[in-house]
Parts: sequence; structure tokens; C-alpha cells
Amino acid sequence: MEFDWIKIPYALLTLFIVLNYGLLMTAIIQKMGARAGRRYGIRFYQNYIDLIKNYSMRSKITHGYMFYLGPVFRLTGGIGLLLFVPTIYGSEMWSNFSFSGDLILALYFVFFGTLGMALGAGESGHPFAALGVSRGLSQVTAAELPFAIAVFTVALQYQTLNFNEIVAAQQGGFLNWTLFTNPFAVAAAMIAFLGMMMRSPFDVVVAPQEIPIGPPTEYHSAYLALMQTNRNIFPIAKIVVYMNLFFGGAGSWPEFMIKAFLLYLVSALVGVVFPRFRVEQSIRFFLIWGVPVAIIGLLWV
Amino acid sequence: MVSPIYLIVITLGAAFLLGLLSERRTELAHFITVLALAAGGLVSFGWLWIMAAEGASAVEIYTAGTKPPFAINLRVGLPEAALLLLIYLTGLMSAIHMKDMLLRKGRRAMAVLLIAIMALAGIIMTRDIFNIFVFFELVAISTGGMVLLSDDPRALSAGIKYLIIAQVISILLLVGIIFTYQATGSLNIDFMKTPELALGGGGTLAFFLLLVPLLVELKPFPANGWALDIYQSAHPAFSAILSAATGSAALFAVDKIMDIGGASWGPVLTGVGLLSFVVSNILALVQKNDRRLLGYSSVAQTGLILAVVGQRELLGESYLFIAGGLLIGHAVAKAGLFYLSDLVKGRMLTNWADLRRNPLLVFAFATFIAMLSGLPPFPGFYAKWELVHALMASGKTGLVVLILFGAILEAGYLFRWFGYLMKRPQSNTPGTLPLRGVLVTMAAALAGWLAAYIWGELSGYDNLLSQTALLFALGFLLIDWFPAKLKNTIAIAGMLAFFWQSYTGYDPIQMIFGIIILVGGAVILLASYHERGQRIGFYPSALLMFAGLAMLIVAEQSFQFFAAWEVLTLGSYFLILRGKNAEPHALSYILFSLAGAFAIIAGFALAAQGQAGFKITALADVAADLAPWVFILLAIGFMTKTAVIGLHIWLPGAHAEAETDVSPMVSGILLKAGLFGIIVLLSNMGSPELYGVKLTYVMLWIGALTALMGNLMAAFQEDAKRLLAYSSIGQMGYAIFGLALMNHLGWLMALMFVINHYIYKSMLFLSVGGVAKRTGTKLMYKMGGLITLMPLSFFVVLIGIIAVSGVPPLSGFGGRWMFYNAILDSENRLPMIIIFISGPIAFLYLFRLIHAIFLGQLKDEHRKLKEPSFWIMVPQVIYVVLLLAFAVLPGMALQKVDTFLNGMFPEGGLNWDGLLITSDYGYWSPVWIMVVTGGIFAAVFMLLLAINRKAQKVKQFNIVYSAERPYRPETTHFAWNFFAPYRKAIWFLLLPIATRFWGGITEALHATAGFMRRFYTGDAQHYVFHLLGFVVGLYLILLGVQ
Repeated sequence: MEFDWIKIPYALLTLFIVLNYGLLMTAIIQKMGARAGRRYGIRFYQNYIDLIKNYSMRSKITHGYMFYLGPVFRLTGGIGLLLFVPTIYGSEMWSNFSFSGDLILALYFVFFGTLGMALGAGESGHPFAALGVSRGLSQVTAAELPFAIAVFTVALQYQTLNFNEIVAAQQGGFLNWTLFTNPFAVAAAMIAFLGMMMRSPFDVVVAPQEIPIGPPTEYHSAYLALMQTNRNIFPIAKIVVYMNLFFGGAGSWPEFMIKAFLLYLVSALVGVVFPRFRVEQSIRFFLIWGVPVAIIGLLWV
Repeated sequence: MVSPIYLIVITLGAAFLLGLLSERRTELAHFITVLALAAGGLVSFGWLWIMAAEGASAVEIYTAGTKPPFAINLRVGLPEAALLLLIYLTGLMSAIHMKDMLLRKGRRAMAVLLIAIMALAGIIMTRDIFNIFVFFELVAISTGGMVLLSDDPRALSAGIKYLIIAQVISILLLVGIIFTYQATGSLNIDFMKTPELALGGGGTLAFFLLLVPLLVELKPFPANGWALDIYQSAHPAFSAILSAATGSAALFAVDKIMDIGGASWGPVLTGVGLLSFVVSNILALVQKNDRRLLGYSSVAQTGLILAVVGQRELLGESYLFIAGGLLIGHAVAKAGLFYLSDLVKGRMLTNWADLRRNPLLVFAFATFIAMLSGLPPFPGFYAKWELVHALMASGKTGLVVLILFGAILEAGYLFRWFGYLMKRPQSNTPGTLPLRGVLVTMAAALAGWLAAYIWGELSGYDNLLSQTALLFALGFLLIDWFPAKLKNTIAIAGMLAFFWQSYTGYDPIQMIFGIIILVGGAVILLASYHERGQRIGFYPSALLMFAGLAMLIVAEQSFQFFAAWEVLTLGSYFLILRGKNAEPHALSYILFSLAGAFAIIAGFALAAQGQAGFKITALADVAADLAPWVFILLAIGFMTKTAVIGLHIWLPGAHAEAETDVSPMVSGILLKAGLFGIIVLLSNMGSPELYGVKLTYVMLWIGALTALMGNLMAAFQEDAKRLLAYSSIGQMGYAIFGLALMNHLGWLMALMFVINHYIYKSMLFLSVGGVAKRTGTKLMYKMGGLITLMPLSFFVVLIGIIAVSGVPPLSGFGGRWMFYNAILDSENRLPMIIIFISGPIAFLYLFRLIHAIFLGQLKDEHRKLKEPSFWIMVPQVIYVVLLLAFAVLPGMALQKVDTFLNGMFPEGGLNWDGLLITSDYGYWSPVWIMVVTGGIFAAVFMLLLAINRKAQKVKQFNIVYSAERPYRPETTHFAWNFFAPYRKAIWFLLLPIATRFWGGITEALHATAGFMRRFYTGDAQHYVFHLLGFVVGLYLILLGVQ
């Protein structure tokens, strides 16, 4: 196959847009959350400051090779996912590297970064990191379920694993979106979405408010910066997958931004309203609420 | 040729001669005894040779010079000659074996022994029923004498009980003879046949009274308490005669008088025989005394042969082959085991561990239990095969079930015993093993192998003992005293040569399996170079397994397939048992495997319907009403090997407790035998329906549930090798699921799994095993932080878990991709959900594996460890290379298979277009995935290096939390019960239901046996009552049935 070298600048541009969009959007959504809690919240450019600060910190240690590579895996996972999925429907260039593989690639590539980061955090030797991984893996594997079934449902519905064909099938009015053609599958996928976004009520994994727990525990300076970078790319990459599968994809950047914002808002909204689950509660939640809905969706097709 | 009458003359004459000797010339007396028995053996052999090799017809000896019925005649035909040889050889070997005892007791004891043998020969030869009675009386008297001569204090009461019972038997027999004489007017068997004596005829009672004492001589349940007491207390060499020679003679007597009563009495024999077979085997389960256990086993085996005698009309021409095979197996093995029991000081089964000091005796013991269990290449194996085929062909399924049930019980206690022998502690004061006893035992073992060869020749199939692969494996028995490294080289060379020689004949599917078995096996054997010393027993076992596997994939007939299956089972059992704590696990492995094998034999027999040389491809033509049952039986057999849910409980222990280089063999290679079986089954039989349900649909569910439970259980193991073992269960579930989809990509995925699973599971087992060897524990939470000390092992495990999990860019992803494409092609959606649930759970256990061992905190006692030894690492590095190669270029292995599968499933294949692989639904470019991922990774890594190049290296323990320093690495390593929240959420799925179920069955059998053994009180009056009860009860049942 001929490789189009122009794809590389386009990929970098995609990355640039998504990163900046992610930095701003997450800040704004965080601010909205704060306002709901009657606080003022951070400034909209706070994420930039944090990122620059962390990238430029001078004190840095490493616990070993895997520790060093953990954030690299993490960010590779985020960027890879973004670039393996066509971002803007109908555009050859904004489809980036999606010629490498289809929906299944995206589905499994999600774990690339997670696994790598968990390994890196493991080498730090910090028990809280391992504890966070244990919780996170337990929860994510349960949350993945309704999503996996929903993805399969969509593939079955459109008889393809190709993102472009799935989006193409949803064109011609929003009633053609999977959201309306198979609401159960989408409902199940959205339940899973809540779990994957690591926001309340499913945020015990990182427990952001109290003690630092989870993989980032021992990470600092540039490592943490890489992870923060990823934290602004990876959710959006996931949202792109969702958008393509369930919400008709995005035909242009503005459409992309609006849809991404609204989808992100869903998890933020739920997070603001609901208190936190313990891990076993969230596992049960996904099994009891997510999976049956997904099964109904599957049988619906 | 010397007339057979001289058999009696020589033996009897020698006995009289002994009487003329002085009391003190015991050595001479013994020499004469041995000489007489040897001469008898020689004469018998001469006749057997003439009959068998030169085809001579039976000879008649007219004792009074007159033809019957006016005088007694003796007859020696082929069966008689064989039995005579058996009896004389048993007598000879026993006489040699118990020389010390005979010398001590003097010439009278020897005379009694000679009389016993002579009388047994008489029973075999005579055609006169009163003469039979006389010889039985002689047997009874001499047996009583020999028992009473034993040193065991219990022998006195046993001998007296025996004499009492013998009298009752004699009286019954005499009455029976009188009645039948009255009914027929003759005492010669050949002249007594009359319809009146058939079951239900006027002479029913007469024949019954003739038959029943002979049956009682066979010690049937429940009239056998006396016999068990004898077995327990007599000199074991005499017990050998009682079991092997007396039992055979009595069986032959029954067989002879069946000429009189006719076939209608067959079911009676079969009923009595099978009752004994099953009940005695149950009772044997709880025996702890070796000789009593052998007694039960004798009773059981005799019962089985009696059952066969009852079916002789049905078996027709193969009757002698079957009954003879069972008999010779029983006689040789039982005699051998009794001889062995004399070499063991204690009487508990666990005392047999002392025999372990002599590898020859271990070999002999293994030979004997394999013979008794009907395993290849011994006569019992061929006999079992023919018997089950004949019975299934005539619809006698119930009999087959009972026989196989009894056989599995028997295998249960025999192999448990072998486990004791290999694994239990030896006594502190091991005496020397007497050379004579060892030699006699070895002679018995060699006789077993000889019989194996003969039965192979007679079988009409390819003789197993002339198969190159098997001979190569057995050859290692002869060179077992070589150093291990040399044997390893020979093994590797042999396997590669065998592959080189046979690969041209393989089709693509066989090729995959062939490469994995022979080349893959050789790669794993590289790890075996790390072992020093001789490693006795390892190579014969391993090569036996590989030979079985190699024979399996090329088998064309069902017989070859089944023989290969049993060979690989037996080899792998010995291999697994080598593990330090493997005793119970090896036992459960062999029991599940044998039970599975019984399902397979029943399935093949049902399919063949009596047709000899049934081809596997003929499974496609099985009649529609039988097809689903054949399918079910075979599928159960194969799925036992892949350890599907419910039948899986043997696997975790067996794989985890095996030695470091054995685990990858049994996991990476052996499991594939089951998959190969399923492939053969599905490709020939397709998907039959039972009551409207497609059986592959059921298989789909089984595969899915297995995948789920295997993965779930793996996530909760603390033992690293057990974790991998459970993971294998899950992986095999996936493969079964793929095959059961019955579409192109499902199969391709399953075959890809076969390759992938071989590579990564072998690699992980070697790696984890190597680490466990260094740390001295398999428990993961006791390790930790080993990444700095064993970076290469870490890297291998890392590659392994990425491949297993299916995360791109490694080869596991290809499997997942095909899986999704395959299920899109399938109509069955519900089982998919289960598979979806199980998928992500794999991440749980994989992360746990690598984290708990290599990451987290390094323990103080491990700070000086190094990488596992060089040779354990060599195959791992090869596997890493292979895995990476297979990840980038899966087409290397799969493209041909894909094309080949077009023959079976023309729809839904893949397109291999350069670097891009496309299906009907999606596409996948392994190279581009690798390039893109690698590119991004490199870029990010460069970025980090640029910013962070001056990072300071600190140790793991250099951390702070909750504003305090951690206390010790042990308390800081978070690894035990790693997925506690998950357990809390889904605890109900983790209940050990299957383990409890099988445990319950075992318990119930043992409890039944424990209850039933009370029946044998040891009281002579009770025994007489049992006997009479048996006689009356049997008669009443016969009346009732009529």
C-alpha cells in the first residue's frame, strides 16, 4: 500500500486541535461542575498552566525502565486511539491512520495505554498505585461489558466493522443515528461511558478529592505532564469512537466540537449529581443495569 | 511333541519323588520342583507353538485307551495350551520367588505346590465333569495346605475358612454332577449337551447346581469373603498362583461346561461377573492393605472375564482374543503385583514407596497397572476395544456402561497406588531388595510386554509395538541410565527427524499441529538442558506423550486414533506425576482422561456398528439416529482433554504442579490434542441435531462458559502457575467456541489460537516456572519487584501478556479481530455475550501476574536472585521472536490454512492483499498497526527523554505515603487478594461447584465401600451363609426372570 506522507502533518494537526480543545473543554466543564457546587472554579486556562508547570519541573526521579515508560505507553495509547479512528467523516485526511484497522482495533487499543501505565505505576512500588490499578481494572472490565456488546450490536446492525461505513449508514438526518435506530444499545454504551470517564460516581479509582491514589501516585514532573496531556486527548478519542458509532459521526470540526462537548457534559452532569460508588457497587451496577440493556439492544437488531 | 499327559505325569511324579528325598535335602527338592514346573512349561509352550504357529489342530488323549464317553479324555487345543503355559509359568515363577519359604517348610510344601499346579492343569485339560470335580478337590486341598503353611498368623483362620467353604462347594458340585448325569446320561462334556439343560428347560436346576459351584470358585461377590482373607494372609507368591492360575483354570472350567448348558446361561454369567466387577472395584477403593486390595482387584478382573464368557456367542470369533487378552493381562499383572508385594516390607499401600529405590521395579509396577487398566500397548487394551465394539454393535449399551464404570474405579485405585509409590515418603530403614524377587517380577513384566506384542500381531490392526514413534519413546527406557543432557539431545534430534520425515504427508491443519507437537516440543525440550543428572523416567514419559500426539494427528482409523489418545494420556500422566506436589493432581488428571477416553471408545464403537477398521472419515456416514449420540460421546471425550467447564477440575493442579519444563508441554501442546479431536469430529460430522437442538450450539455455550469461568478463576489465584492453568482453560474455551461457530473465520480463529496459545502459554509457563525455581515459591504475593533482577523474564512475560490479552500490536489482537468477524457471521447471539464478559476479565489476571511477580516491592530475601538458568531462557527468547514475527506476518502460518478451509467453508474467507487483510466486514493491517504504534511510541519516548533525561534513579522502596515511610517491603507489596472488590461483587460465580460435585461423587463411592466392607466380618459362619445366600438368591432371581 502506498503511504501518503501528507497524512503525518494532518495527524499532528488533528492532535494539536484535539489537545487544545481538550484542555479548554475540560477546564470549562470543571468550572461548570464547580459552579454547580457553588464554587468559583478554576480559570479556563488553568490546564495550560498546570501542563507547562509540570513539563518544566526540575526535580525528577525514576524507579526503573517500566516506570519511565509507563506514561509513554499511556500517551501512545491516547494518541494512537485518536489516530486509528477517523475523526471527521468523509475526509480522507482527517481519517488519519484508520487504514491500519477497523473498529476492533479501536476497541482493543483502548487497553494499550491503560496496561502500560498500570505497569509503570506498578514499578513505582507504591501500594496506592497498585490499589488504584486493582480498583480501576475491576471497574473498567465491568464497564467495558455493556460497551463491547453495544459495539457488537452496532457492527451487527450495519453489517460492518468499518467506521466509515458505520457513519455513512447514519447519514441523512439525526433520526438515522444509532441513538434512534437502536436506543438500547446506545443507552448501554452510555452507561459504560460513565464508567470509563472516571468521574463520580465511578471515581473511587483515582479518588481525586482526598489522598492521591491510582497510577499517578508516584508520577511527577514530565511523567505527570505526559499523563495530563493524555487526560485531555484520550477521553476525546473515546468520544470520537462514540460519536462515530452512535451519534452519526462528525462531518466537520465545529460539529465535532459540539458533539464532543455534549457527550463529555453527560458524564460531568451525572458526576455532579450522584455520589460515589464503591468498586464492587459499580461492578454490580454495570452488570445489573448495563448488561441487560445491552442484551436487549443486541436482540433488538 | 511330548504328549500332554506327561504334564500330569511329570508334575505328579516330581511330587512323589519329593517324598522319597530326605527331609534335609531341601535345596535338591526345590530344584526338582522348579525343574518339574519348567518342564511342564516347556511342554505347554511346545504345544502352544505347534497350535499357534503351525496351525496344528487340538489333540485328544484317551486315558484308558478307549474313546469317550467310555473313558476320560483330555484335550489340548490352542486355548488349553495357552492356559497350561500360563499355569506352569506362574507356578514356576512362584516356586522360584518363594524359595526361602519353601526351603523352610521343606519338601512337603513343595509337593503340595506341585499337586496344586498339576490339578490346575488337569482342570484345563479334562473333558470329564467328574474329573473336573476331582481336580477341584485336589486344588482345594493343596490350596488349603499352602495357605496354612503361610507365616502370617491370620493364615490359619483363612485356611480353615477356605476348607469349610470348599466343602460346601464340593457338595454342591457333586449334587450338580449327579443331577446332570441323571439328565444326560453322561459325564463327558462333549456328550452332555442337551436342550433340557438350557435355562428354563427341565434340567435348569441340575445345570444350575453344576454351574454355581464353579462360579463360586471364581469368588464372585458376595460369596467371596473367604477368598479375600486368603489373598490377604497367604504367601504372596501363592496368592499369585491363586489369582493367575487358579482363577484362569476355574474360568476355563466354566467356559467348558457352558458347552453343556448352552448360550441361554450366558446372561447369568454376565450378570454375576459384572456384579463382582463393579462391586469389588468399589470395595477396593477403601482398601489400605496391599494384598487385600489385590484380592479385590482379582475378584473384579475375574468377574469381568466371566462376563465376557457369558457373551461368548455374541463375540463369536473374537471371543478367544478378547477373553484371552483380558485373562492374560489380569494373570500376568496380578502375579507380578503379588510378587512385588513380597518385596515390600509394610502392608500399607503407602509402604510401596520403598520400591521407588529401584527404577526397574517402578517400570514393572507401571507395566502391571497399565495392563490391568487396559491401556496400550497391552492385551487388555485390544480386548477392551473389541469388547466394547462388539457390545455396542449389538446394542448392549448398559453392559458397556457398567464395564467402563468398573474400569474407571479400578484405574482410580491403581493409579492412586502408583501415586503413593512415586510420591510418598520412603521408610527410614530400607532393607535390600532380594535379587531373586526382582528378577521374577521383571520376568513377569517382560512377559506382559511379550503378550502385548503378540496381541498386537493378532489384533488385525497395526501392531502398536511396531510403530516407529512409540518404539522411539520406549527406546528411552533402555537408555535411561544415560545422562539427561545426552538423552535430551537424542530426543530433540529424534523429534525433528520424525517431523522432517513425515511433514510432507500433512495437510495444512495437520501441519499446524505437527509443527507445534514435534518442532514445538523440541523447542520446549531445550529448556530441559538445565537439568543435571540422569532424570530417570522423564524421557520415556515425555516421548511417549509426543509419540501419542504425533500418531494422533495422522491417525486414519478410529483404532489408531484411540490408541494414540491413550498413549499420550499415559505418557502425560507419568510426566505430570513427576512434579513435587503433583500426586493428587496427576491422579485426577488420569481419571478424567480415562473417563473421557471411555466416552471416546464408546462413541467410536457406536459409530462403527461392528465394522472392523472403521475409518475416521466414515464418521460422516453414521446413521442419522446414531449420529447425535456418537457426536456427544466423542465431544465429551475430547472436551475432557481441553478441560471444559465442569470437567476442568483436574487441569489447574496438573498444570501448576508439574515440573518447570513439563508445564509448557502439557499446557502448550497436550491441550491441543483435545482441540484436534474436536476439529476431526466437527469436520467429519458437522453439526448433528438432537431433539431439534444443534449440538454445536450446545458446544458454543460450553465454550463460552468455559472461557468465562476459566478467566474468572484465573483472576483469583495466588499461585502463578495455577493462574496460567486457569487461563488455559479459558483460552481453550475460546477455541472451542470458535470451532463451534462452524464458519470459516471461527475455525481460522481457533487455529490461530492453537498457534498463539502454544507460543505464549509455553513462554509464560517457562518464564514463571523459571522465576519460581529461583524464588522457591509459586505464590505471587511472596514475590515482587523482580523486574530489576530479572529484566529478561519480565520482558518475556510482558510480551506474553500483551499477546494473550489481545492488545494490539501483538498477535493476540489478530485472534480477537478474527473472533469478531467470525461472530458477525453467526446467528447465535446469546453465547456471544458470555464471551464478551470473559474477554476483559483476562486483563485482570494478566496484570496481576506481571504486577505481583515483577513489579511492586522487592523482598529482602530475593535481593540476590539472578535470571533463571540459561537454558530455561533460550526457548523463551525464541518464543518472543516467533510471537513478534507472527504478529507482523500472520499470513505466514494462516494463509494456507485459510485457503484450505475454503474446502469446508467456502464462504467468509479472508483476502490477503499485501499488507492488508480484509474480511467481509472489516480490515486489519498488522504491519501498519505495528508501524503506527511504534512511531507514536518512539516520538513520545523521545519527547520524554528530551525533557527528562536527568532523572535520578531510586529504588522501589524509596516512596512516601500518608506522610510516613513504609514499614517493610512485605507490608508494602500490594498483591494478595488483588481483586478483592471484584470478588465481593461476583463471589457467587466463584463457588467451587464442579469441585464439590466430583468430590461428592468420590465421597459417596468411598462411603458406599466403607459401608459395604462391613459385610465381610471374617466369620466363617457368615461366609457360609453368604455362599448359600448367593446360591439361593441367584436361583430365585433366575426363577423370577423366567
